[in-house]
Amino acid sequence: MSLETEVEALRRVPLFRGIDETKLRLLAFISDRMEYKAGERLCTQGEEGDSAFIILTGQADVKVNTPEGDKTVAQVGEHSIVGEIAILCDVPRTATLIAVGDMDVLTVSKDDFLKLLKEFPDMSLEVMRTLAMRLERTTRDLAAARTGAAA
Amino acid sequence: MEKSLFKFIWKFSSRHQVFILLVTVISYPITYILLELPKLIVNDAVQGDGFPREVFTFEFDQISYLVLLCMTFLGLVIVSNGLKLYINVFKGRLGERMLRRLRFELFQRVLRFRLPHFRKISSGEIIPMITSEVEDVGGFIGEAFALPAYQGGMLVVQLGFIFMQDPLLGLAAISSYPVQGYIIPKLQRKVVLLSRKRVKNVRLIADKVGESISGVPEIHANDASAWHFADVSDRLYENFKIRYEIFNRKYFIKFINNFMNQLTPFFFYLIGGYLVIEGNLTIGALLAVIAAYKDLAGPWKELLAYYQMTADVSVKYQTVVENFDPADIYPVERLTADDVTSLKGDIVLNNVTFSGGAAGQEVFDLSLTVPEGQNYAVVGPDGSGRSEVLQLAAGLVSPGSGQVSIGGQDLDKLSESTLGREIAYVGGAVHIWTGTIRDNMYYGLRHRPLIEQEREGDELRDYKRRLSEAKETKNPTFDLAADWDDYTAAGVESADTLDRRALEMLAAVNLDADIYRLGLQSRFDPTLDDAFAERILGVRVTLADRIAADPQLAGLVELWDVKTFNASASLSENLFFAVPTDPEITMEQVPDLPEVRTFLKDTGLNSKLQDIGLKIAETMVELFANVSGDSGLLGTYSFITQDDLPEFDRIVRVAKSASQRPGLSDADKSRLVALAFKLVPARHRLGVMDDALRAEICEARKEFHSKVVNKSSAFVAIDPTVYLPPLTIEDNLLFGRARVDRRDARQRIDHVIRSMVAETGLREPIMFAGFDYHVGVSGSRLSASQRRRLALVRGLLKNARITILDDIATGLNEEDRALRATLREILSGRTFLFGTPNAALAEEFVDHIVLDQGRIAKESAE
Repeated sequence: MSLETEVEALRRVPLFRGIDETKLRLLAFISDRMEYKAGERLCTQGEEGDSAFIILTGQADVKVNTPEGDKTVAQVGEHSIVGEIAILCDVPRTATLIAVGDMDVLTVSKDDFLKLLKEFPDMSLEVMRTLAMRLERTTRDLAAARTGAAA
Repeated sequence: MEKSLFKFIWKFSSRHQVFILLVTVISYPITYILLELPKLIVNDAVQGDGFPREVFTFEFDQISYLVLLCMTFLGLVIVSNGLKLYINVFKGRLGERMLRRLRFELFQRVLRFRLPHFRKISSGEIIPMITSEVEDVGGFIGEAFALPAYQGGMLVVQLGFIFMQDPLLGLAAISSYPVQGYIIPKLQRKVVLLSRKRVKNVRLIADKVGESISGVPEIHANDASAWHFADVSDRLYENFKIRYEIFNRKYFIKFINNFMNQLTPFFFYLIGGYLVIEGNLTIGALLAVIAAYKDLAGPWKELLAYYQMTADVSVKYQTVVENFDPADIYPVERLTADDVTSLKGDIVLNNVTFSGGAAGQEVFDLSLTVPEGQNYAVVGPDGSGRSEVLQLAAGLVSPGSGQVSIGGQDLDKLSESTLGREIAYVGGAVHIWTGTIRDNMYYGLRHRPLIEQEREGDELRDYKRRLSEAKETKNPTFDLAADWDDYTAAGVESADTLDRRALEMLAAVNLDADIYRLGLQSRFDPTLDDAFAERILGVRVTLADRIAADPQLAGLVELWDVKTFNASASLSENLFFAVPTDPEITMEQVPDLPEVRTFLKDTGLNSKLQDIGLKIAETMVELFANVSGDSGLLGTYSFITQDDLPEFDRIVRVAKSASQRPGLSDADKSRLVALAFKLVPARHRLGVMDDALRAEICEARKEFHSKVVNKSSAFVAIDPTVYLPPLTIEDNLLFGRARVDRRDARQRIDHVIRSMVAETGLREPIMFAGFDYHVGVSGSRLSASQRRRLALVRGLLKNARITILDDIATGLNEEDRALRATLREILSGRTFLFGTPNAALAEEFVDHIVLDQGRIAKESAE
């Protein structure tokens, strides 16, 4: 797969939707293309996060450590970005990612992603917008959950 | 040391000087006859009569008489020139030998300086003294006695001739000498003083330049370059001023001299003319005197030049030598003696006072006994006299008053052969020598050459010559190529056991992992040790088998296979399937290698690679065109640097432009090829490679092998059954590349390699390969902590009766604590003096004292 196909995949990631193609090409170029086999870990909960993952093909389980052992809380698939929280703010990984089948993943290191944002402010705006929307949704969900719990 | 140059020359070369003088004197009549013969040939043989002539009872007619004279002439030409050649070579050799003797003596004296003396001198000053400043002395020595004797003789003969003609004229001829003899030395004295000043000023410049080099980070960090520019420029002006003065005076001397010389004929014409007119002198005699006076000018000029040269060289000699004669210099026997007195017993400091020349480097009336075979801590912050006490105990410095003794032996009276072998001292500021790890570890065992190097044939002859020259110049006859490692002193039997012991010590100070890593990264020459190369190849096979058997591992590496394209390796490796024999060749240089150039041209790959390079360049230019230079994005990810970008931008534009002229230059083309060579397809996913191209590249390998690799030694083929010397040991173990598109593939494979190396017992030989790692200038390729630990190993390997450590492993962390425990264990039963600024460590040791401001603040609670 070459840059072009990666750019194609990136375009479908909601976070990068509004960003023009040349910047996506740059993002793709500075990312590392990694292959994961079924069962391999992309990252481990509690570790320091230094990169975000953009899934090109395949799926991964999102597992969280609970008192009853590891529990799969979600699954992420093609064209989703995971681990981006860790590269925007210094928090440990909030979950473990394990490849379900063979995966193709673009890995963006924290340093490079930040450099890119600094270099292209409109890209930061886009990222901000997406995160704000996510926050708004989370807040709404939380409110709903609270009222649900109160009821 | 001889204070005057002439004393030095006469003392060491009087025999040679007399010989030179004799040969010069012998050559004089020959030269004289040589000048007379042509006259004889013309007047007597060609124009003469009365033949046949009788010479030594043989009769000669005119032709054979001519032949006889001409043959004599030829013979004398040969003898005279041969003699000249011989004496010149002789003088040159004598000068070089004396220079060698002088330089060696100076260097030996540097090592005889006491340590505190080095606070007063700088290497920037000492180095030019030994190297350049004495250089002129060598050229002078051959002439020192012969020239004045010979030219002086000539002068006396000519003057004698003039006096014989007429005493009055003789007086006229020498009338200017008293004036010249009075004025010229006066002027010359000024010149001498100025040259002295000049020498010192140049030394200062050398020192400033040297200091700027060693302090260059400081200069940049403080933006102080302007200050240093001004400083040096100032000194250069000073130099100019002095030089200008010297010129002025030198040429003035010349002027006076020439003037005086031409003034004398004035008297000749006046007095001589008067005498001739009066009839007291014949005209013929006057002309002869004037001719003789002309001949005076030659020797006189030579003598004057000699006088100036003597003044110049003498002052240089004195300005150098006066720096090498401090009053408290150690006797030479301290360095040259080779007998060892056993230092068995307690270390006793008796009312010792010492001053290093500054506050905080003093010890006042200190008495201390360190019992034999015990570990003992000397505690005190920097400036408390701790380091001084330890150096006193090591015999490195001598007490101002009082006495330091070990087992009743006064350290000040012992030679270094005892102090340096019986005591191991490792101070806080360690020095690592430029050389290998091994050189540095065994440095403490190399006191004298022990096992002679076997030599035969030319080598032996050369060695004998070296020895005789050394004796001739009072240099040491130690053989650098001999085996200097003293196994007995280290407590081992052979080189092998010493290496093994070094391994133990490296492990003890936690340096083993570092050395192992250096070993893996080092290159080694398989011709030196076949068995080791075989074992590495063995591991390579097992590793390949294990990788093949384990699908998990198989996914992490791409092994070299001549039939398939390796996406994790660069395009050049893929194309050549070989590596340049010289590991120093960079990727930029590869396309310009003549073999590669021809190959690419012949196969037509050149244009294909240029296309690939162009595509890469285009993409790079497009991707990074809008990225600012300081973002750092380009540096990490692209194989073009920010500085290269405009250059490639130009190349791309030229290549794209419709007009063919001027087109790409050859240099541009090689840049594009070099860019293509750097492409690692799995990392740089630029989409320039397709299956057809991959197949073509694999196909081209065969041709490259048959055309280049098999014929030239510039490349070594990648061959699974052969050890590849240009690659590191690590790359030789793993016959392939860790995949760049698998997470942590490198680390995971390294782990496997490490465990296999341990299983097969290769760890040791790899560490031995690490022993040959070159540490760079003064150990610059090692970290500060590595340097310290390496110096510690050096001290431990000495296996000395007494070990003194200062400010080594004094941390409170677990690692240092463990290291101290190990040290005490290794040195148990021997005297172990441990200096630390950290009072908390004192309790670990059997006994201790605390120092403060050069006095004992607290004796241990015994």
